[in-house]
Amino acid sequence: MSLQLGTLEEMILIILLMKDETYGVEIAKEYKNQLGQSISLPAIHVVLKRLEKKGFVNSRMGESTPERGGKGKRMYQATNKGYEVAQEIQHARTKIWSTIPKLNFSIA
Amino acid sequence: MSAEKHPPKWALRLLEFFLRPDYADEIQGDITEAYYWRMEEESRFKAHFKFILEVLKSLKPTNLKSFYHLSLNTMIFRNYLKVAFRSLLKRKSTSFINIFGLSVGVAAFIFIFLYTNQILTFDDYHENKNRIFMVYKERITPDGTQETYDTWVPMKDRLTESYEQIEAAARIYDSEARIKKSNQYIEEDIIYTDASLFEVFTFPLLHGNPKDVFPNKNSIVLSVEMAKKYFDKENAIDEELEIFLPDEDTTFRFRVSAVIAEIPENLTHQPDLMIEMEALPFYGDFANEWGNSFLDTYIMLKNGGDEAQLESAFPELVESIFGMETRENTNFKLLPMADFYDTFIGNKANARTLLWIGIGILFIAIVNFMNLSTAQASKRAKEIGLRKVLGAFQGQLRTQFITEAFVMSLFATIIGVGLVLLLIPSFNAFFDVTITLEVFSLSEIIMMILALAIVLGLLSGSYPAFYLSSIGAIEVLRQRLGFGGTKFRNALVIVQFSIALFLIACTLIVRNQINFMTQKEMGFDSEGLMAIRASPSDFTDSEVGMNKINTFKTELASKPYVKEITKSRHVPTFWSRSFTFVRPDEWTGDPLRMRFTFLDANFFDTYGIAIKHGSNFLPDTEGDQRLSVILNEAAIKAFQFDPNEQNVVRVGETRLNVVGVVEDFHFETLQNEVAPTLMLHRTAESGAHRNISIKMDMSNLVERIEEIEAMWNDLGSTREFTYSFMDDRMQILYEDEERYLGMVTMFSVISIVVACLGLYGLTLFIIEKKRKEISIRKVLGAEVSTVLKLIFGEFTKWVAIAFIISVPIAIYFADDWLQSYYYRIDISWLTFGLALVIVLALVILTVGYQSLKAASANPVKYLKDE
Repeated sequence: MSLQLGTLEEMILIILLMKDETYGVEIAKEYKNQLGQSISLPAIHVVLKRLEKKGFVNSRMGESTPERGGKGKRMYQATNKGYEVAQEIQHARTKIWSTIPKLNFSIA
Repeated sequence: MSAEKHPPKWALRLLEFFLRPDYADEIQGDITEAYYWRMEEESRFKAHFKFILEVLKSLKPTNLKSFYHLSLNTMIFRNYLKVAFRSLLKRKSTSFINIFGLSVGVAAFIFIFLYTNQILTFDDYHENKNRIFMVYKERITPDGTQETYDTWVPMKDRLTESYEQIEAAARIYDSEARIKKSNQYIEEDIIYTDASLFEVFTFPLLHGNPKDVFPNKNSIVLSVEMAKKYFDKENAIDEELEIFLPDEDTTFRFRVSAVIAEIPENLTHQPDLMIEMEALPFYGDFANEWGNSFLDTYIMLKNGGDEAQLESAFPELVESIFGMETRENTNFKLLPMADFYDTFIGNKANARTLLWIGIGILFIAIVNFMNLSTAQASKRAKEIGLRKVLGAFQGQLRTQFITEAFVMSLFATIIGVGLVLLLIPSFNAFFDVTITLEVFSLSEIIMMILALAIVLGLLSGSYPAFYLSSIGAIEVLRQRLGFGGTKFRNALVIVQFSIALFLIACTLIVRNQINFMTQKEMGFDSEGLMAIRASPSDFTDSEVGMNKINTFKTELASKPYVKEITKSRHVPTFWSRSFTFVRPDEWTGDPLRMRFTFLDANFFDTYGIAIKHGSNFLPDTEGDQRLSVILNEAAIKAFQFDPNEQNVVRVGETRLNVVGVVEDFHFETLQNEVAPTLMLHRTAESGAHRNISIKMDMSNLVERIEEIEAMWNDLGSTREFTYSFMDDRMQILYEDEERYLGMVTMFSVISIVVACLGLYGLTLFIIEKKRKEISIRKVLGAEVSTVLKLIFGEFTKWVAIAFIISVPIAIYFADDWLQSYYYRIDISWLTFGLALVIVLALVILTVGYQSLKAASANPVKYLKDE
């Protein structure tokens, strides 16, 4: 299975896994909340489209609200495949991380 | 919620129009929601800014509608294009006239644009151009102010110390250098300057440290051309150059410390070699010299510095340097960099006039298109009627005609650009200029071409589109259509004629002024007069040099073809720029500032300058007559002397006897008035002279010049044999004017050709329209001449109206241009008469053949249809 996933793609996939079902602005809020960095919506949109194309998320049109100027939301949900990929990356990363030499404070 | 708390509507509409419908809701909605969220979290300004940014970022290709979904109907669009091409091909003669006329117009316009752009953006390359000023002095005299631009060596430091609003200042002294290259000397221009020059002006370094351009006393900065010329490479750092500086009579070794990158051509300063003034051993002699002024001082104000405020502080400075008395009659001024070109090089107004001529030519070509397409209306009426019957809206027809105009103007622009590319080398060679397309990047050029094509298309297509699309379907199908838009078309033709008449008149006036200047008596006899540069400083040892020059002169004088010979410091066309203060004896007023020069006793005989009063200097054999002076008539007038009396003038405490008065002779362009000059005597052997002038027999010229050159080369000077004939030098004085005349003439001819082309096309239509009328008249017994009168009558009327319009405009502009010449022609009515005759002749030629053909045709041919 391909692990081709960019850092931003991974972050957003994880945010999607955190939530049951979510959309662009909420992802932006969560991203800022978790990482303390703001992110532009077009960047999120690109990533979502890419994830959807790879089959890691799927989406449906949701209801509209007045603060959206009457426009509908597109709700995204991570797929099982998405979960697996994310998990696999975490495993692989933990494994590699463990091979980093530990700091050694002993004088010898 | 107040209205301003909403995201801008236009941005949302932009998204609506361009985004894929299946993405649109999500993107618009998300961005809008985020806008309100950010407004709470951050600030209104930030929310707004980010919103716009996100809208723009959302417009990426993957999010856009495909071309076909844009609400343009591409099917009909293709049909427009197809019809446009068809109609271009169908009416070959009009299409040719349109496209050819327009491309010539475009080419002419581009040439003018490139040339004038170079002039109008002169010195724009310097990043701080708005803060750079040259400090100059202004002398207040009873009859106005006199500006001189040279300043003193200590001026720079005095300024920077006295005024904190000056950020940096630099001095430039232009001089010459002889570079020693394998026992040969090559002349180059050099400037003595300060390291701060690189702060004030923008001269980017290719190599070297911009913070420290002159690290050592023997550092020299080269232009990249010089680096390539002397070292065959761009990185010439640490290479050495041996240079003889004639000003200082010494040879130095310099080490290259920096190389300047290539800079544009249109800069006042084009330094080739630069050395640091303060590092020169003789700098100390001048460091506090407030007597002689000979260099340029430039300052750069701090951001927000006010030059007017600085200027108002200068009288104090003058007083602190020169004392109370000088404060009364001298002031320092600041010359903004934008005025350098007009002050030292040329005339931006001429460039602006050329630009207007370019726009005029384009306009004539556009008018051609408008006229021909509306005149064609009757021919296209059936097509228009049919389209309307089939349900075309007026707007659609308008789009169609504008499309046609676009296709045509795009063609014309591309051909025009092709012509420019083809002809740039010839243009440069012919006018001795260096225009190039390389100042613009490829994308800029493409943008400009497209912009030009769109503007042309809109201008030339809008009226025909409006007019043609308004034709009613019923009138068309009933064949009741008139020869519409006549009044508007006539007005346009009159404007064309006015432009043509204006240009012809201006060309004639410029030509007359130049002829006047080149043919006016200069007050001396320039025939066979040759000037040779010969100065003791042209030799590594000036003592030896002086002797060698004297030998050279004696040898020259012995040649049979040398009729007269003289030595002088200056020669006409390269006249004295040295000034001194003179006052007549017993004169209590302010001293007058006058030019002075040195010459030997034979000068006036050689130059054929008449002595009006008194006598010439005694022959040189009588020795130096230091206390004698000869004045020109202008000086006599300035002193209000009675020329028949024994007059005495004083320079400082020295009393000079005025021994003679010579007739005024012109020593520079006739743009300026003859200035009062003191001519002082120095014997031919004196070191004060820099030129030898000979009056020679002009036969076998080539051999003789070769002989003289060989004689010069034997002397072993550091200067190559430099000679010129006075006749040529006088021509060179008017190079700028000649170039201007050449351009104005060329572009006038082009504008007239284009106008005639349009006229020709129009004639064809008028004749076709009037064919039946002509035929009936002929059947009823009209002569050919009567019929011709009918056709010509109208054109003559147009030309007459155009004449009335253009004459006052031409007088206004020509007078404005002539203002800048002290010796100028009067505008004569003959000029306008001639312009009128030329235009009428061209009209008759253009219209004549077709008219004659129509008038003499057999009327039966055109009447039998009905």
